[in-house]
Amino acid sequence: MTENAPSPQSGGATKAAAAESQPDPTPANAHIRMNGVSLTFKTARRDVQALQHVDLDIAEGEFIALLGPTGCGKSSLLRLVCDLLQPTEGQITVRGRPPTEARRANDFGFVFQEPALLANRTALENVRLPLEVVGYPAEQRSGRCETLLESVGLLGFKDAYPHELSGGMRQRVAIVRALAWNPPIVLMDEPFSALDEITKEQLQDDLLELWNREKKTILFVTHNITEAVYLADRVVIMSSHPGRVRSIIPVELPRPRGNTVRETSAFLSLVRKARKELTQ
Amino acid sequence: MRASFSFRRHWNTVMPAFIILVCLLLTWQGAVWLMDMPPWLLPAPTDVIHRFLATSTLGYHTGITVMEAATGFLISVVLAISLAAMIVHSRFLERGLLPYIVLSNAIPIVAIIPLLTIWFGFGMTPRVMICTIVTFFPIVTNTTQGLKSADKRVLEFMHSINATRLEILLKVQLPSALPSIFAGFKIAASLSLVGAVVAEFYSSDRGLGYLIITAATELRTDLLFVAVTVLAALGVISFTFFSWLERKSFRGEGRADQ
Repeated sequence: MTENAPSPQSGGATKAAAAESQPDPTPANAHIRMNGVSLTFKTARRDVQALQHVDLDIAEGEFIALLGPTGCGKSSLLRLVCDLLQPTEGQITVRGRPPTEARRANDFGFVFQEPALLANRTALENVRLPLEVVGYPAEQRSGRCETLLESVGLLGFKDAYPHELSGGMRQRVAIVRALAWNPPIVLMDEPFSALDEITKEQLQDDLLELWNREKKTILFVTHNITEAVYLADRVVIMSSHPGRVRSIIPVELPRPRGNTVRETSAFLSLVRKARKELTQ
Repeated sequence: MRASFSFRRHWNTVMPAFIILVCLLLTWQGAVWLMDMPPWLLPAPTDVIHRFLATSTLGYHTGITVMEAATGFLISVVLAISLAAMIVHSRFLERGLLPYIVLSNAIPIVAIIPLLTIWFGFGMTPRVMICTIVTFFPIVTNTTQGLKSADKRVLEFMHSINATRLEILLKVQLPSALPSIFAGFKIAASLSLVGAVVAEFYSSDRGLGYLIITAATELRTDLLFVAVTVLAALGVISFTFFSWLERKSFRGEGRADQ
């Protein structure tokens, strides 16, 4: 196991230092860079092209929404970035190095559609799981977990088991689990799509607050147009069969965004634009 | 106050079964009296209880059988769980070993007792080995299935943070496998007792299996009933023990259901 996990206090300082010391091969200051990325799944009967020639540069601290219909390869793209899948063609660099190295350095926090918590661990113990793996100082683990749970209003539930929590609470635990060791990049695969509308909006606001405080780079996969526009700095619209980047819509809405933003004409016109792009 | 309440609740659960037991024993006792059964054909419950109290060597024979069954079972637990962990981590080992695991289950154990006796003599060794062999299959298959049942997302999460195979096994797969592992233990525990007794039939001068064989040849039917009752009780005790252990080791969902 690699022990060079970022320390809890490192924050942006080490990130900036790393960027300076690492001579970036590209002129842009891209945090995550995808260059001609294609992915083909080989099955027994035929080859399925999931992604075709994806180019995308993501800046540090940027909130990117990947928006597209089912089967457009947006989930695969997340897994390519964090080295759970390998591209058939093209290159990906994460903070100037290949995804494998970034994964070994614990650069990624992953959140799934399902909370995917361990049933035999309490909320606090679930948040602690990655800390036990990435080599976080043992005496600071519980304190860190309590801070994180408190930030999403779940400190009172730290000793509750997953089955004793509501769906929204479980997903909050899963989100702070992915932030526990302070990874610079958070990958979210339709994290709110299984939640009811009210809980979903609460969690969206919680997430924006966390993002604003912790300054992460977030890749957020969704098939919900308003969610993408509400959360992201840029919405990457993808089309399917094979998965491609169709267009990128910059979202220049003021931050912090609250529920009033949802009713502004700027917001609604962006939603309309995104919908038009999707259905073209 | 609370203790008496919980006692009453407990009593309410076991009472129906207890009443049926008493009815059965009374019918049996009455039938033996009314039909004037010879004791070698069917001894009355009172005869069996009398024999139970009068057989001073019963504890010794029971101890031997329990020892054999428990030793064989424990060896099997260590071997089967290690093997299951290896099978789950290597497709090659899974394909290479699974046919032989299935084969080990297909061989009737009664047929290999003579072979093991030729190799290892009349001591405890062949009987412990029989217990290991009969318990191996249920533990290895249940553990393998349990280890494979771990949430795929959690496994992906562990991979994404560069967790080692050992960390994944200990922190994710084994805890998820506990219910299946205990299901395997419960089946294996009673099989182990059967294995020990059958092995004692063939080659032993002690143990409950030996007691049953001698009682049968001497037509001491009351002693036969005593041995069978003790075996049944041992089966129930081992099952109860593993249910209890399961509840103790379970956290989260499993425990709350109890």
